[in-house]
Amino acid sequence: MTITAIDFHLNGSGEVTKEPETLNKIPGNRAVWVGIFAEMTEFALFFLVYFIAKAHYPEQFNQGPLKLNTLAGTLNTFALISSSYFVAKALASVRLNDPEKSIRWLWRAVFCGGVYLVIKIWEYHWNVDQGITTNTNNFYTVYYYLTFNHLLHVTWASGSLLWAIRQLKAGNYTQQNHLGFTAIACYWHMVDLAWVIIFPLLYVLR
Amino acid sequence: MLKNTFTLNVLDFSWVLLMIITTANAFVAETAEPSLAITAIICCSIAYKGRRIMDYFMELNHANKTIQLFMRGYFHVLPALIFLSDLFSEELVALTAL
Repeated sequence: MTITAIDFHLNGSGEVTKEPETLNKIPGNRAVWVGIFAEMTEFALFFLVYFIAKAHYPEQFNQGPLKLNTLAGTLNTFALISSSYFVAKALASVRLNDPEKSIRWLWRAVFCGGVYLVIKIWEYHWNVDQGITTNTNNFYTVYYYLTFNHLLHVTWASGSLLWAIRQLKAGNYTQQNHLGFTAIACYWHMVDLAWVIIFPLLYVLR
Repeated sequence: MLKNTFTLNVLDFSWVLLMIITTANAFVAETAEPSLAITAIICCSIAYKGRRIMDYFMELNHANKTIQLFMRGYFHVLPALIFLSDLFSEELVALTAL
């Protein structure tokens, strides 16, 4: 069968139809969305703490980002955006019935997750060398709470990507059945979305 | 053969766009002096990046309307709160002082 770009819809589906797989549906499953909304609420509470602390200690929040390593924050943003892209490509590949290619994309995503963790740990060491710790001032307390919490999410979400690779290798995620994979992908994108807000709050805005 | 499908092009384009916006944000972090205008621009970039990731990577652009509403709402409300908390910081202090 010859398939053209016109026939193949944006998200594709197991059988490659003109309708996206997620049309009016919950991507993945309900359980993962309960988790995603719980996590997003948790991060929202952290952000509210940030707003209030910044209003009370404007000088600390004005000077704080200047002493952080912007390059480390930027590279981590690149790593997370790229990993999200790789996960989306992996999902597209499994829909096109190419699990091997999907696995390759997922390994790239896991690599980016690893890069993020290495950079973040290096950044924490660099901070300590600059005299920046959790007790330095209120800005850095919020910085450590937010970034360490996010680091934990990246760690276990990377584990879920490894699980997806294992399932693909075992043939449990296929062109016809990849709901669990879609759920894992959604969770990974949520982790990326949280960083999309954290990066400008801590490294850019003063 | 499935080559150069619309799906792949949209994903590739989104990735490039997100990288460019991130680079611009980093440039702002290194060079710009804080101001409400800069805050507004950064808030818009957060909202746009979030929308791009949700619509194309997370595939919410056609998905269940309730999930779409909550997720899109999140990335409208939070950037707005970032801006408003800067604009009304004194009022926020008065509201939250113990």
